[in-house]
Amino acid sequence: MPKQLNTALLQIAGKTSGALIELNNVTKQYPNQPVAAVQNFSMTVQPGELIMFVGPSGCGKTTTMKMINRIIEPTSGSISIDGRDVLSLDPSELRRHIGYVIQQIGLFPHMTIAENIGVVPKLLNWSKDKTADRVHELLTTVGLEPGDFAHRYPKQLSGGQQQRVGVARALAADPPVMLMDEPFGATDPITREKLQAEFLRLQASIGKTIIFVTHDFDEAVRLGDRIAVLSNRSQIEQFDTPANILANPANDYVSSFIGLGTAIKRLVLIPVTAARLGPASAASKGGTTVRTTDSLRDALDSLVLTGLPALAVVDELNKAVGSISVDQISAVLGAEVPILTPTAEA
Amino acid sequence: MVFPTATSATPVVRSRTARRSDEIWSIKRFMTPAVVLLVLVALFVGLSNMTLDSIESRTLNADYIIARVREHLGLTVVASALVAVLAIPTGILLSRTRSRTLKAIVLGIANVGQATPAVGVIILLAILWQTGYFTALVGLVVYSFLPVLRNTMIGLQQVDENVRESAFGMGMTQNQVLFRIELPLAVPVILAGLRTSLVFCVGVATIATFINAGGLGDMIVNGLKLQRYPVLVTGAVLVACIALLIDWVAATAEDVMRPRGT
Amino acid sequence: MTLDLNGLLAFWARRWDDILELLGEHLTVVVVALAIAMVIGVGVGMLVWDKPLPRSAVIAAAGVALTIPSLALLALLIPAVGLGWTPTVIALVMYSLLPIVRNTIVGLREVSPAIMESALGMGMTPLTVLLRVQLPMAWPIILTGVRVAAQLTIGVAAIAAYVAGPGLGQFIFQGLSSLGSKNALNFALTGTLGVVLLALVVDAAFVGVTRSTTSRGLRA
Repeated sequence: MPKQLNTALLQIAGKTSGALIELNNVTKQYPNQPVAAVQNFSMTVQPGELIMFVGPSGCGKTTTMKMINRIIEPTSGSISIDGRDVLSLDPSELRRHIGYVIQQIGLFPHMTIAENIGVVPKLLNWSKDKTADRVHELLTTVGLEPGDFAHRYPKQLSGGQQQRVGVARALAADPPVMLMDEPFGATDPITREKLQAEFLRLQASIGKTIIFVTHDFDEAVRLGDRIAVLSNRSQIEQFDTPANILANPANDYVSSFIGLGTAIKRLVLIPVTAARLGPASAASKGGTTVRTTDSLRDALDSLVLTGLPALAVVDELNKAVGSISVDQISAVLGAEVPILTPTAEA
Repeated sequence: MVFPTATSATPVVRSRTARRSDEIWSIKRFMTPAVVLLVLVALFVGLSNMTLDSIESRTLNADYIIARVREHLGLTVVASALVAVLAIPTGILLSRTRSRTLKAIVLGIANVGQATPAVGVIILLAILWQTGYFTALVGLVVYSFLPVLRNTMIGLQQVDENVRESAFGMGMTQNQVLFRIELPLAVPVILAGLRTSLVFCVGVATIATFINAGGLGDMIVNGLKLQRYPVLVTGAVLVACIALLIDWVAATAEDVMRPRGT
Repeated sequence: MTLDLNGLLAFWARRWDDILELLGEHLTVVVVALAIAMVIGVGVGMLVWDKPLPRSAVIAAAGVALTIPSLALLALLIPAVGLGWTPTVIALVMYSLLPIVRNTIVGLREVSPAIMESALGMGMTPLTVLLRVQLPMAWPIILTGVRVAAQLTIGVAAIAAYVAGPGLGQFIFQGLSSLGSKNALNFALTGTLGVVLLALVVDAAFVGVTRSTTSRGLRA
C-alpha cells in the first residue's frame, strides 16, 4: 500500500471515538438490473452520531450501509471518513477499523468467544497480553462474566448472549465507526428491549459514529440521534431527529411508515417530569411507582398494566414527588414539550 | 469393486446437477458418451496403424473382443438383475420388521461387507467351491447385494415422518403407505444403490478372469502375462468405457425416474 | 475344500512375521496414497470451490477415475510406470481424489454467507477467510471424505498385488495360485480377513482422529 494511504488509515484508526462520514452521490447499479439499487445517495454524519436507516425491505438501506465498508462496491460517487477517501484504501485494511455487526451475528463456530473477539486485534498484530486484556474488558462491558464466557463456544450461548459477543467483537479494536445491520432483529422482544437499553448506555460512554439499519420504526425512535426514512433506491424521504419526524412527517410516505400510534411513539421521547404532576397524595395505593427518569411511555405502560387511575412518581431516592394519570399524559401531547435526547436516556 | 458412494450412510454429498426434467437432456448430459466415443475411435485408429504379431492378432480381432465384451456384459447384467430382484424385496421386508436389533445387525453386516475386498471374496469362493462362470456370478451377487439392500432400507427410512403420519392420518393402510408414498419417495435412493451395484459389477466382472470366468479381464491378464501391452491396453480401455457408459445410463435413468418435485 | 481351524492357527503361527509385514505394507501404501491425495485434493478444492466451471470439471474428472475398474486402471498404468509400488500408489491416489475433492468443495461452500460476510467485514482478506475460517469449519467434512477414501483404497490395494504391488493381496493371490493345495484356503482367508480387519481398525481410528482434530465448537 502506498505510504500516504497508510497514513490515511492510521488517522482513521487513531481516532477511536467518532469520525465524520460523508457520502456524496453514491450509486449502486447492478448489472442486468433495470433500476439502480441505490441512486445518488448523499449524507453527512457528524462524529459520535447514531444514525438510523429505516425503510421497508428491499429499499436499499442495507446496500447503502455496506458500501461504507465496501462489502458492496459503489458504482459511482464518493465516500469518505474524516476526509479520507474510503474507495482508495485497501478494503481489508479499511474494514479492520470499522466495526461491523450483522443480524445473523456470524460468530465463528470453531473459535471460542475470546478467540472470536480477538480476531481483529490478531489481524492488527496486537500482542497476546494486550488482546487478552481487551477481550476481558469488552466481555465485562457487554455484561458477560469473562471467567465464565471467554472459553465457551458460540453454540453454548443464547441468542442474546451471542449478539452481545457480536457487538463486543465489532468493538474489539476500538474503531471510530460502527456499521450495524438489524443487529437485534433476530432476538425475541424482551431480549431485544434489553439489548437496546444496554446498547444506548454503551454508546453514551463510547460515542462512536454509528450507522444502524432497521426496518422497525419504534427501534429507530428509541435509539437514533437522527433517522433517515428511506424509500426505493435508497431515496431519503426525511432525515431528522425522531421527535421532528414524529411531529412533522415530511410527506405521506413518511406518515404511512410511522403508521398509527404516532402519539404513543412520541411518548418514548418525553420524560415523566415534562407532565404537570398531580399531588403525591393522589397516587393509588398498590406499590407500583414511576421514576422521574422514566419516559411518559413507561408511565402509560404502568398505568395500563395496573389498571390504576394514578401512580406515584418517585425520585432517585425513592421519595414520592407527585403522581401521574392518563389525563396528565394526554395534556402533555397537546402542548409544546421539551424532548429527551435519546442517547442520554433509555 | 470401486463404486460411487451414493448412500446417505456415507455423508459424501452427491452433486445436484441435472435435476429438473428440462435439464436432463442438456449438452452436459452427452459429454460422457462423446468422450467414450472419442477414446474408442482413438483406440481403433491406434490399433489399425500397428503391426500385430501372431499372439496379438489372436486376441485383437473383432470376434474375440465381441465375445469377451458379451461375457463381461452378460455377467454384469445378470448379476445386477438378480441383485435387484433379491435385494430390494429383502430391504422392504427388513424395513417392515419392528426389530431394531435385526436392522442393526443387517446394516452392521453391510458395513463389514463393504470393507471386504472383492478379489478376496471371488478367490475364496473359487477355492471353497469351484472356478468358472457360476462362481463369479455368485460372487458378484453377494458383493453387490449389500449396497442395494442398504440403500433400500435407508431410502424407506428417510421418508419424512410427517409425510408418513399424514398418509396414515388420511386413512391409508400400511401397504398403501408403502406402495403409494414410501416406495416412490425412496426411488432415487434405491436407484442410486442399483447404480452403485452396476458399476461394482463391471469392476468385479473384470477380476472374474482370475477364476476362469471370462470377460475383458482375460485381455488384461493375458496382455500382462505375455508382455503384450496393446492387448492389455485394449482390454483396460474397453472395461473403462463400459463402466463409464453403464454409469452414464444409470445416472440418466436415475434422473428420468426421479419422482417429480424432488 | 473345507476349513481346518487348527490348520489355520498353525498357519498363522508359522507365518506370523509375513502376515505382520504384509499388513504393514498394506497400511503404508494406503497412508502414503491418502497423504498425497489429501495434498492434491484439498489443494485443488481450495482453488476451485468458488468457480462453478472448474469446480464441476474437477468433480467430473475425479468421478471418471473412480468409475474405472481398479484392475483396468492398474493395467493402464503399467506400460507407463511399470509394476510394483508406483502404479499402486498412483491408482490409489486417483481413487481417493473424488471423495476428498468433493467433500473439500462441499465443506468450503457450506460456510454460511453470514459467517463469510462477517469475516470479510472484520477485515480478513479472502485468503485469510479461506485458511482461518472456511478450512477449519470444513475440516470434519474433509476428514469424512478421507475416511471414505481410506475404505476404498484398502480394498483396491488388495488387487494391486496382481501387478506386484505391496500388501495383503499377495496372500490372496498366493491362495489362487496354489489352488488345490492345502494351504490355498489359509492364504486367501488370511489375506482377506487381514484386509477386513485393517479396514475396520482404520475406520475406528478415523473416529478418534476426527474427534481430536475438530474444534469443540463444531462438535454436535
